[in-house]
Amino acid sequence: MMGIFKEQKTFDIIEIMFYTYGENIFHNYKIKEKIPKGNIKIKEGLNMKKSLLVIAILTLAITGLLAQSITFWTTETESNRMQRIQALATIFQAKTGINVKVVPVQENDLFSRLAASKAAGTLPDIMEAGIEPLVLLGTEGLMDTKLNAKVINDFGDIYTGVKRLLYAGNGKYYGIPFHAWVQGIWYHKNWFSKKGLAAPISWYNILEAAKELNDPAKGIYGIVLPKKADNYSEQVFTEVALANGARPFDAAGNVTLDTPQMIQAFKFYKELGKYSMPGFTTVLDALKGYLSGKAAMIFYSTYIMDDIAVQDVQESRIHSFDPNLVKNTGFANKMINVDTSSYGQVVGLGILSSSKNKTAAEKFAKFLMTGDNYIYWLHMAPGGMNPTRKSIATNPQFLNNPVLKRYGAQKIANIIAALDNIERFDFYKGKVVTQMSKLSANFVIGKAINLMFANDWTPEQTAKWAQKEALRVLGK
Amino acid sequence: MKSYPVGTLERKTVILGWKLIAPTVIIISLLILYPAVYNIYLSFFKVSLNPAIPNQFVGLKNYFGILSDPAFWRSFWVTIAFTLITVIGSMLLGLGVAIMMNRNFYGRSAVRALILLPYVTPLISSVFAWKYIFLPLNGPLVQFLASLHLMNPGTDIINNPNNAFIVVSFFNIWRNFPFVYLMILAKLQSIPSSLYEAAEMDGANWWRKFMSVTLPELYFVIASVALLRGIWNFYKFDEVYLLSKFAGTLPIYIYDTAFAGIPHQGIAASAATILFAVMIGLITVYVKRVLKW
Repeated sequence: MMGIFKEQKTFDIIEIMFYTYGENIFHNYKIKEKIPKGNIKIKEGLNMKKSLLVIAILTLAITGLLAQSITFWTTETESNRMQRIQALATIFQAKTGINVKVVPVQENDLFSRLAASKAAGTLPDIMEAGIEPLVLLGTEGLMDTKLNAKVINDFGDIYTGVKRLLYAGNGKYYGIPFHAWVQGIWYHKNWFSKKGLAAPISWYNILEAAKELNDPAKGIYGIVLPKKADNYSEQVFTEVALANGARPFDAAGNVTLDTPQMIQAFKFYKELGKYSMPGFTTVLDALKGYLSGKAAMIFYSTYIMDDIAVQDVQESRIHSFDPNLVKNTGFANKMINVDTSSYGQVVGLGILSSSKNKTAAEKFAKFLMTGDNYIYWLHMAPGGMNPTRKSIATNPQFLNNPVLKRYGAQKIANIIAALDNIERFDFYKGKVVTQMSKLSANFVIGKAINLMFANDWTPEQTAKWAQKEALRVLGK
Repeated sequence: MKSYPVGTLERKTVILGWKLIAPTVIIISLLILYPAVYNIYLSFFKVSLNPAIPNQFVGLKNYFGILSDPAFWRSFWVTIAFTLITVIGSMLLGLGVAIMMNRNFYGRSAVRALILLPYVTPLISSVFAWKYIFLPLNGPLVQFLASLHLMNPGTDIINNPNNAFIVVSFFNIWRNFPFVYLMILAKLQSIPSSLYEAAEMDGANWWRKFMSVTLPELYFVIASVALLRGIWNFYKFDEVYLLSKFAGTLPIYIYDTAFAGIPHQGIAASAATILFAVMIGLITVYVKRVLKW
């Protein structure tokens, strides 16, 4: 009786895998230009069938073993992403016999969910989240910083630029850098060359281009600058401020939002705002403005890459498709004034100190960041999710993706190279600045920018308000 | 005190009564009483997220922290203003619409159903619809008003932080008046027409009829609905937060103080207890004075 039940379960797993892989790996992006010869899809399909067979045999072999179980929280909550993660969890179970319960959690709900699950005694064993929550939880003693460090060291090829952002001191880490994106200015290269403008990297060139290309009478704007009180404003302002050497905290942890460098940054931002699309614009306005050719430049993360390249995705945003947009798009991955800055976000895996099954959690973390599994995960959002391991970034299999291919190996390599220079407000002089998370959660910088434009405040007034508000929020 | 001799019918009835209400009492205790008591208990602690670190007793520190914060008091008065404006606004609008809908006209049932739309539409979609029609340059309403030269098409009404309180109040009145309308209309239809006929025989005009017949008949409905709306709007979080981060009402203050970054459950619990005490006080006065229970 028991044996029949087990066999049935094995079949279910195989069925699930066929279903999920069938949905995703063979997913065909509609691209107007032809995909190069040598049909990858079929090859991938054959390989997959072989590995499924192997997996099936392995599953039969291990069903006799005691089933272990871990809980994995992920912030990738979209259904197609969940499907992929579920498929990976199923393969992991087939290989190791460890059952992974995948729980999707919105990043904004992460802390309240944690509080509830602590009370209920159902904390996860391992979670995937941005660096801010990982660091905050780490400072509360909730992360197994030693084990996270062990995984990082065992891999040995994780970029220094990304792992330092999760550094907890004494060789320990709040989390394992998993994937990352970079932010920069995406611009219509052809418009720039027509007017003889230089790439928008220095403050001077950015402002020149915005001024030159701004033509409101024709419904075309120099830029779409974030002006709302949200995270997007803070992310863009971070890049601007860091290019001027301005930071919200000094090395001693004092709030420094009203320094001359910061005031200059607000001044530049406000000046740039003159050539921006009207209204308190935000991230979707920027994306749509750029794709539909209403804005010359926008700040965006590398998540924009499939919006630019893939017909389906672009049409879902603006109901039309420009096949030449990839060719005509430039990406400025850094900004220069008195300093050079490049902003990005790292998403990490963190093993919790409260986990009762750390060996299994460690195995799962390593499974997710190895070979085909890792590439399968990263291809959930080609361009948006970039590998943090050198060996994967240079793996031809990673570049073997319709979207990434359209940009070419060189451009992808440039993007990944920028990961090594990511600068952030919450990381300074080798230390993680935990106070910054409180300011971000209260949108202090976003609110300052919003108020500056709404009330036509001077940069000095704005800086003064931001300083006061930051002190209030931090209870200083 | 009344005593029940053993085995009498009366005693059996009492026992049966207790048995019958027992499920309700147990469920209410589990679902309402336990969380409320646990919340008060938590408000005296610094609650740790880490299961390895026990909660730390801090006495009344959480309460003092909140009550001495000027931002709390500012939010408190903003919330009072928000509650008064939205309750009065939605009551007046709901009353007016209910009186109009109480008359017979062609297509009345269709109009009656349409009026309910703001209340029954999912919140998130109506918030987005509002944001959409007010979108600078492309918003339909903005384009319409701009074509009449009534506004500059580049104006962003919804996202301007200075408009936050007005936008949020206006939206709340628009969204909730159908509830008021529905309650009042139900009562209006049960007012016997003989009362109006009698008033007409006394020579009353429409205003006199409204003041002497309609309003007294509606008194308790209006008072109860105002109480409900008052309680709900005092605690309103979702739509206020979705529309603007600058509206500054108390639930937003609690969210910003307690849940931005690492959650401070103790502080949140004490804030909730303070609000609970304030509400109980206001409700008691209201019920005694206005509802005359």
